Amino acid sequence: MADRRATNRAMFWRIIRRLLGANRGRLFVMMLALGAGAAVTAALLNLQVDAKRRLTKEFRAFGANIIVTPAGSTNLGDNSGTIQEQDVARNIRDVGNPSTVAAPFLYFVTSLQKGGDSLLPEQRKQVQVVGAGTDLGAALHLLIPGWGTSQLGSWDEDITAKGHCFVGVKVAEQLQIHDGDMVELFYGAHAERLKNIRNISTGGDEDSQVFIELRTAQQLTNMSGRASLMEISFSGTPQEMMRFQSALAAKLPDAEVRPIRQFTEGEAKIYSRISGLLTATVGIVLLLTGLCVMAAMTNVAMERKMDVGLMKAIGGSMRRVLRLFLAEAALLGLAGGLIGAAVGIFLSIGLGKAVFGVAARPRLIVYPVAVALTVIVAILSAFPLRRLASIRPASVFRGEA
Amino acid sequence: MFLRIVADSFGRRPRHKLLTGAALALGMGVATAALSVSLDVGDRLAKEFRSLGANLLVTPQADSLPLEIGGVDYRPVNAGAYLPEADLPKLKTIFWRHNIVGFSPVLEVPIEAWSPASKTSFAPSVVGNATLVGAWARHTVAVPDGTTYVSGVEKTNPWWNIEGKWFDERSRQCVAGINLAKKFGVKIGDDLNVSAGDHSHWITMKVVGLLSSGGPEDESVLAPLSVAQELANKPGQYRKLYVSALTKPEDAFAKRDPKTMTPVEFDRWYCTPYISAIALQISEELKGTDVRVIRRVAEGEGQILTRVRILLWLVTGAALLAAALAVGASSAASVIERRTEIGLMKALGAGSGTVGFLLAAEQLLLAFVGGGAGYALGIVLARLLGEKIFGAAPEPSLIVFFVIIALAAVVTILGSALPLHRASRIEPAPILRGE
Repeated sequence: MADRRATNRAMFWRIIRRLLGANRGRLFVMMLALGAGAAVTAALLNLQVDAKRRLTKEFRAFGANIIVTPAGSTNLGDNSGTIQEQDVARNIRDVGNPSTVAAPFLYFVTSLQKGGDSLLPEQRKQVQVVGAGTDLGAALHLLIPGWGTSQLGSWDEDITAKGHCFVGVKVAEQLQIHDGDMVELFYGAHAERLKNIRNISTGGDEDSQVFIELRTAQQLTNMSGRASLMEISFSGTPQEMMRFQSALAAKLPDAEVRPIRQFTEGEAKIYSRISGLLTATVGIVLLLTGLCVMAAMTNVAMERKMDVGLMKAIGGSMRRVLRLFLAEAALLGLAGGLIGAAVGIFLSIGLGKAVFGVAARPRLIVYPVAVALTVIVAILSAFPLRRLASIRPASVFRGEA
Repeated sequence: MFLRIVADSFGRRPRHKLLTGAALALGMGVATAALSVSLDVGDRLAKEFRSLGANLLVTPQADSLPLEIGGVDYRPVNAGAYLPEADLPKLKTIFWRHNIVGFSPVLEVPIEAWSPASKTSFAPSVVGNATLVGAWARHTVAVPDGTTYVSGVEKTNPWWNIEGKWFDERSRQCVAGINLAKKFGVKIGDDLNVSAGDHSHWITMKVVGLLSSGGPEDESVLAPLSVAQELANKPGQYRKLYVSALTKPEDAFAKRDPKTMTPVEFDRWYCTPYISAIALQISEELKGTDVRVIRRVAEGEGQILTRVRILLWLVTGAALLAAALAVGASSAASVIERRTEIGLMKALGAGSGTVGFLLAAEQLLLAFVGGGAGYALGIVLARLLGEKIFGAAPEPSLIVFFVIIALAAVVTILGSALPLHRASRIEPAPILRGE
């Protein structure tokens, strides 16, 4: 009995081998259809997962989206309320993710004049401007999208060094301050001589402000360790942002944590549109790719009347015949899927690089999913063979049907 | 005879042809849907990005430096320059006027405010400093070409949330920032008194709405521009103008300095809705202004739009590729399976060329029918997609139709080429013997 079963199994695989080897052209066509489907499936699935994650990063081109202010304070100008910047920064690091950027700002109204070459007192034009003490590196990153080496020219020069400042373009226009000039700041009895690294232009309030290092501002205004507010750029989905915001608010009872609605709401809206678009397009492409592959496969399967007729003629029951063809389809699907999905994942790495400039990280989960989908589609496309059950072997051999 | 053979091939095996046609139609349907959506998506998304509000800020050229911290200007009242409100309709006469989604002039006045309602017999009403923001809510502008245009903060600041309703511009109504309302204890329906500097003269306004903006406006009072002008004693003037415009993401060409361009290049730049070109056109119309691009909004938008567009083109490319391969595979299959027929034709004296031509014609016919059906299917799909995601369907475009038909033809011919080539080397005798 066991012996017979073994023979049966050996025969089963032998038939399958022959079925696959019988027509190399057909084999190639089926593999091509299945492999292409698997490649597209894997590439799109991988890209979609990656693209959504990256989109939230792209949104950070808008700069800060959360702001921490002292609770109850309505007037930032006279610094009636301030926050403990180091305390807040530590809490942000605790609850935020690695890509969270935060910059403290300490605002004060100060007099500014262009620095002279000589030490002799001379009459120069002085204007009142808003000074902002901040972490220069982080702040410029938030304020100016795409701020980096290209904009600064030489990033090597430590811009966060003491004694450096950035002057807004409107201020610079009024005082004719150019990149690299010296400026003098006056606050009460204090004075500070700083080097303007670069004029900055944002199109916002920042154009009429002067940015200096936070420590210098704290010394000038005698407010060591304090800041008027903290701007945070948090990248994540809208849900993650809500979680971050409430976690931070719980840790900072003395401060108010609020989203910058202009950007958070816009982002949430645009994110949902884009991710909806992506999901829908990918979904439809996958569905129809499956259908196309099925149609191509079915086309091939319909041509196998002769095989079915022969098997039935020598005594194969329809169930066994069907099992043979399903096994063949599953094998083909597996092979096509394994190759196609691998190709697709490599493809998506390249595509990710083309879109976001960074190679998409291959997700291992995508591979088995794409292979499984391919096998399912292959098996489904073999099912129309069931209709061949009604075939009468004799008429097939007479060449009738 | 030629036609008869082709017709016979279709008539004899309708199911077979139907399947190949269905594969073709499905594949081309995906391609059509993906193409239509990608062509359309740029404009739709650009509109979505306008939910970020204004991307241009117009200020007087001769203005003194604003001492603004947290939305409060610490300059003395009346310092700085103003702009005439009467010039504003000119905004809708610039070259890219249809790209201007909305604009709103703003005049901020430092005020003292108090609410008569919060006064009790024990305590006087709370008096406090605040900022009154004079703006348009839903203002009708008469454009010089005779039409009218409705604009206001609703369009430039769409993220502002109003509980209640916006003020009516003709009456003494205002909208209170949510924090200010809490501080002064005012509710919708209460009166609010405001005065600028001098207590003997005040304006009483009815609070009709509460504003939560998440910004400094939460601490201020929003009132019609005319009220702010009256308080500041600056009739017909404003200080800042927010403009929200639909733009094309800036590319390398847009980043060049217009002054260095040749006249032809300048015309091309001027007639493209780059944000810098729109800014220049606005400053040409509104004399004495300084038009600045709000870079956070504009550049963020440009960057994301470009990325999403490339992404969608890639998805479209993948869809086209998958469709092409599936269609190619199915037409290859249909040729492979007809070896007997080819053998017979050759045995009867047909040359390889004739056989190839015959089969190619058959495939092409199928491609046109399948491609046409696929196009129809794709248009329906694109419509569903567009309506689901953006609430508006993309327009069917003729270009897509031709692209799809051409693609279907090329793909089927390419798919059949290899098997046809092999078929042309078929020896009739073994095939007819059934070997």
